[in-house]
Amino acid sequence: MEEIKIGVFICNCGTNIAHHVDLDAVLEAAAAMPGVAVARSYRYMCSNPGQEMIARDIREQQLNRVVVAACSPRMHEKTFRGACRNGGLNPYLCEMANIREQCSWVHSDRLAATEKAKALTSAAIRRVWHHEPLESLTAEMCPATLVIGGGIAGLTAALELADAAHQVYLVERTAALGGNLARVDLTAPHLDSARDLLTERFTRVGENPWITLMLNSELQSLAGYVGNFAAVVRTKSDDDTVQERKIDVGNVVVATGYKEFNADRITHYGHGKLPNVVTSFEFEQMLRKGRIETRDGRLPQYVAIIHCVGSRNKEFHGYCSRVCCMTALKYAHELKSANPACYVSDIYVDMHAFGKGHEDFYKHTSEVKTLFLMFDKNERPVIRMADPSDDCEMLIEVNETLSRERIEIPADLVILMVGMEARADSGEVARLVNISQDKDGWFMESHPKLDPVATTTDGIYIAGTCAAPKDIPDTVAQARAAAARILGKIAKGKIEIDGVFAEVRDDRCSGCRMCNELCPYSAIEFHLDTKRSQVIPAACKACGACVAACPSGAIKGRHFTMEQLHAQIDGVLA
Amino acid sequence: MAAKKLQIALYWGAACGGCDVAVLDTNEFILDVAAVADVRFWPIAVDGKYADVEAMADGELDLALFDGAVRNSENEHVAKLLRAKSKVLVAFGSCAHMGGIPGLANLVTKDEILATAYLANASIEPGSQTIPHARSNVDGMTLEIPTFYRRVYRLSDVVDVDYFVPGCPPAPDQVKAVLLAVVKGELPQRGSVVGASERAVCDDCKRTKSEKKVRSFHRPFEVIQDSSKCLLEQGILCMGSATRSGCGVRCPNSNQGCRGCYGPLAGVSDQGAKFLSALASIVDSKDPKEIEQILDGLPDFTSFAYRFGLPASTLQRSYR
Amino acid sequence: MSFEPKIVGFLCNWCSYTGADLAGTSRIQYPPNIRVIRVMCSARIEPEFVLRALAAGADGVLICGCHPGDCHYSEGNYKAMRRYPLLKTLLKDYGVDDDRVRLEWVSASEGQRFADIVIDMTERVRALGPLRIKTDLQADAVER
Repeated sequence: MEEIKIGVFICNCGTNIAHHVDLDAVLEAAAAMPGVAVARSYRYMCSNPGQEMIARDIREQQLNRVVVAACSPRMHEKTFRGACRNGGLNPYLCEMANIREQCSWVHSDRLAATEKAKALTSAAIRRVWHHEPLESLTAEMCPATLVIGGGIAGLTAALELADAAHQVYLVERTAALGGNLARVDLTAPHLDSARDLLTERFTRVGENPWITLMLNSELQSLAGYVGNFAAVVRTKSDDDTVQERKIDVGNVVVATGYKEFNADRITHYGHGKLPNVVTSFEFEQMLRKGRIETRDGRLPQYVAIIHCVGSRNKEFHGYCSRVCCMTALKYAHELKSANPACYVSDIYVDMHAFGKGHEDFYKHTSEVKTLFLMFDKNERPVIRMADPSDDCEMLIEVNETLSRERIEIPADLVILMVGMEARADSGEVARLVNISQDKDGWFMESHPKLDPVATTTDGIYIAGTCAAPKDIPDTVAQARAAAARILGKIAKGKIEIDGVFAEVRDDRCSGCRMCNELCPYSAIEFHLDTKRSQVIPAACKACGACVAACPSGAIKGRHFTMEQLHAQIDGVLA
Repeated sequence: MAAKKLQIALYWGAACGGCDVAVLDTNEFILDVAAVADVRFWPIAVDGKYADVEAMADGELDLALFDGAVRNSENEHVAKLLRAKSKVLVAFGSCAHMGGIPGLANLVTKDEILATAYLANASIEPGSQTIPHARSNVDGMTLEIPTFYRRVYRLSDVVDVDYFVPGCPPAPDQVKAVLLAVVKGELPQRGSVVGASERAVCDDCKRTKSEKKVRSFHRPFEVIQDSSKCLLEQGILCMGSATRSGCGVRCPNSNQGCRGCYGPLAGVSDQGAKFLSALASIVDSKDPKEIEQILDGLPDFTSFAYRFGLPASTLQRSYR
Repeated sequence: MSFEPKIVGFLCNWCSYTGADLAGTSRIQYPPNIRVIRVMCSARIEPEFVLRALAAGADGVLICGCHPGDCHYSEGNYKAMRRYPLLKTLLKDYGVDDDRVRLEWVSASEGQRFADIVIDMTERVRALGPLRIKTDLQADAVER
């Protein structure tokens, strides 16, 4: 058992610490503690001379532990770990005591602040005693990527990666590429042709030697971890025979898209019963054919567009589907273009014109004399058949919010702006790749603001509407972002796995399986053959949830072990 | 030349007698023991007085098995006596190991105990105020009885213990194994737990374990359980995952949750707290109100978690 | 001389510890009675740590994590949330006053909130007086 020799380095931080804490007293107390071989005080420990002092003491005094009492570890833990490394000491054999942000800067009573600084330093000294040298692990990074979904998101991600000369497997469930965008005529608000957008990508995908396109294919299984996934893809041929193919990939982009809300569910809108109540996608079909007409072939005189069908309502989905408002305005524009005499009513809850060009598009649509009627999302407009004497087929009654009047408008054609919802098979996909879904079924990102394309499973990325309703610009941005993250990983060549992770002690694990479901990263696997659980170091983020939950204490949380934390607890109270 | 017989003693402190019966439950094996050992002191089975033990030389006994907790001065006295007179002293059974069920008395005060036993219960003559005292004067003479302590102690709280044999009671097979080990001189490092596994009950339990997520807890009589599946996964409390194995999984095999009598695994200092950490973690809810409601389905959790080990826990007793 | 309580704080690195640091950079003053121990996530905090702190002389223990839904590790704070009610049950049965152990959610931007919590808790624990578990256990000790 090696003799523990601790070097304690106390930073004055100019006057930041020295002014409020009696550092001589802290030094004296530290020097008297068991195992402390050297104790020094210095003006700026993080400076080059300060770091050099630590490195030199490690070499000359054969120190095997270092404590730096200074600012917050969130500030300079890296710095002092680096100093230890320079001195030839494993960087994890270093511990900091925060006597600035959480001591000298917040306590005015010098005596009390000094006592606290002594306690925090003492705790660090006791803790570091139990530290162990830790090494990073490296693993190979397979440069191939699996992209699930051949819609605009999947196509974009695949092309981005392939253009960088990396192998991509693009797996599409149906017989054709394009996803939901292939069912759209023009995009809003810029009125580009969706077909043109897509065809360009189809061609590039077909011509790119780096992309292996697998149509009529589904992911069967995905095993492994980031950089080292083994996927099995099942392809169905025309003659119904099934082929399975094993592919090795380093990362996965999930771009499985959305499905539209089933308008039949809102019975009083009459979709499926009234012949001229159609959904937005059904109207797109008309636009693509170039013929806007009612079921019996007539040009509609009165068209009503109803927003928020299946969205923003607790009864179905509480969220906003994001694209429908602009799409509705697009329809108003196209209806007016096709037939300027047509009366177009846009029946909306709020006009979500959040993006680039949206407000202008809204203004333009009102300028072409679209009638805008606002309703409360909890009180839907009511559609009924008109009398034969009326000159329209249906009448829609709206409790109009802005005028506070009940308004009845005629309609020969009603377009329901159906919202987006998570695909029925999204649960299956989530299970296969080990990602989570939120309460609405959308795939969950690692952090909604700071990390929107990564997931809690390293190596699995999400892009496009499978993560939440969004429009084409955001979808393309996410697809490119996911590709960029993957390219960054591929460029590194190897993955470095931080030396801090949880470890299951195989001689203690009893296979109780308390841990497996607790890990948000699926980093603890239960092995059926040995009936023991094991941590995948590459996947572990060292949160410690499993360490705390293991009822037999069989999991060791590296760098946050029970012994280390106990020593700290005892130290702060000594 | 005949080998000198092993000199052994067995004693019960604050005990129920179950551990002594467990030794007898080794059946014919006890005759093998009798063949190689002299039982010098064993209140349940053979004649003997404290004076006999006091007369022994220090270390004269090769082995003493002490079961039961230390509740009063008599228990302490005999514990110290046996420690002095024995080469090897074993804390035998949950009570000696961790305080045992008597240890739950540490949740109440001595006054509350005496009041319940002697003053305020249906079988006491109304108006009777008689409580036992350590010292009483009767007709000019002094009568002393053991002092009832304010709290329960483990054996290791009062003397150095060489080995711990857990269980309430220790399983007869384990008792055999321990006695054989002593006879053969094959005991592990001093201070070890013997007669128990280094893994938890789950390791030996035949029930299948899968996804651990609990949305409600049930008493065993409240549900018809699937006897092939993990009890905890069915919402039935079982402390097996936090308890050393070695008992033969006798409770889960009888469709009852493990109660933790074999104590915590090595490296776990507080069995009840560790089990709390595990159990709460698998509650399948993210809503604070729902979590409280699910946990409310656990009647008297403290007594469950510390049924056998309250004096061995971090806080050891109540501070009311 | 009034009683100075000793309070141990377990703070998670990403939210509450950062929030506490922010109180520092903002020079927001609070009583010096609290000593903080950093963990990566509130999920690492075991009930046994809290009990050990109380047995080692702490008069109060503060546990801080990220707000529900914001955990850096996705769901760690829910584990802390689930352990807390049972820990409270234990403490009640052990006769430890309710105000001595507290769970709070503090985000990385809530420096003032952290300070306010510490100020409030320090006063509550001061009013309760010393916990005395450590001295009581020492008094319990039997001479061997």
